[in-house]
Amino acid sequence: MKKALLAAFITFALAAVTPSVAHHSSTMFDTTQTVTLEGVVTKWELTNPHSWLHVEVKGKDGKTKVWGFEAEGPSTLARSGIKPSDFKVGTKLTISGNPMRDGQPAAIWTEATRMSDGKKFNPRAGFAVK
Amino acid sequence: MIRGKNTIGLLGLAALLTACSGPTADKAPPAPAASVLPEWTREQKVDLGRQHKTAEDLYKALKDQAKGGQKLAWDAMPDWTGVYSRPPLNGFTFDPDQPQGSLPTAKLTPEYHEKLLKRVEDLKKGIEWDPISACRPPGHPRWLTEPFTREFIVTPNQTWLINEMVNDIRRIYTDGRGHIPEEDRIPIPNGDSIGFWDGSKLVIHTNQLQPGIYQRANPDYTDQVETVEIWQKTDDKTLGVDVWVYDPPALTEAWYVHQTYGKLSDPDLRIRYWDCSESSNNSVFQNKQGTTEFKNLNFEKGKP
Repeated sequence: MKKALLAAFITFALAAVTPSVAHHSSTMFDTTQTVTLEGVVTKWELTNPHSWLHVEVKGKDGKTKVWGFEAEGPSTLARSGIKPSDFKVGTKLTISGNPMRDGQPAAIWTEATRMSDGKKFNPRAGFAVK
Repeated sequence: MIRGKNTIGLLGLAALLTACSGPTADKAPPAPAASVLPEWTREQKVDLGRQHKTAEDLYKALKDQAKGGQKLAWDAMPDWTGVYSRPPLNGFTFDPDQPQGSLPTAKLTPEYHEKLLKRVEDLKKGIEWDPISACRPPGHPRWLTEPFTREFIVTPNQTWLINEMVNDIRRIYTDGRGHIPEEDRIPIPNGDSIGFWDGSKLVIHTNQLQPGIYQRANPDYTDQVETVEIWQKTDDKTLGVDVWVYDPPALTEAWYVHQTYGKLSDPDLRIRYWDCSESSNNSVFQNKQGTTEFKNLNFEKGKP
């Protein structure tokens, strides 16, 4: 009985494993939650092991805050069709991601839509072998 | 006049390049020698691992069976050109055939089984620390699992297996040399690899490795870990690798897994230099609870 319970627990735990971010664990992000924000790109760090898209967001109180959206490095982004020129400073977009558990303004970037042309960007698609 | 000289020079260069460019359409390159090692089923490969007590024994048996293997010739080498990557089958777990939601398929000793259970239980509680978080190299055999771009450079005396992540190169010596003498071995992340060619199959033995984990939510391996690999092109776009891992403190029998690497179709794809210090937003540390935390997130304008 004890063994069966342990096996069930392990199965559940492994099913919950989401290897969404290579290089470091993603436990600091809540992968069960999604935040979607509208904003303007202030910086695009195309770096290894992770890239960061900085997006300035205006809150309901009119104050602005810059969020960081984490994605994979430049080669993996290239494989998902995301180029350095896609997000120039000033680009307006809607962006979604899994937020940090501790409330810091950062998230794993899951999808973005560029407002100027409606183009969608999914950085996670870069791991596909095609 | 100058233009005329340049034109003559260019024509001469073109003629030289044509002469040096190897086989032409009417002269196909010679194929590598035929393979002697048979094609085994998965069950036979698992058994093969059990039949040999150590990686060295298995490697020697394969080499004997292949009659020592053959020396590659520059004009008769397998074509492993292109940029490849490992498909995210079942996440990035070491054994791509691991059933979804189950533990890794390794036969672990009780001590290492307990360690694995604790790792998985911790993960459920949100506690996870990956030893490569501070940009250490993944090390072999974990090297096989990382999902980034790869290139494979074949030459008669050495083959380089390259992974983009941390600019990581495994050098496989196929010039007939043996391993570094035991008294002079120092464990290093990718160990010491020697190999031989059996037709278009590259057989590799690797020892002198450091301890690590096979992947997150996977078991640990020790500094006694050794591997035998058989690499071959299984079709135009796929490199397949049979891997046997031996690690007596952690494994009760050899762990057989099959890895694949698919050729990427984008001809413009380049492998970029990997520098972990490019952004301070990527710095993480292991906190008192044992889990991963960012050190210095900063998205203020003009910083970092």
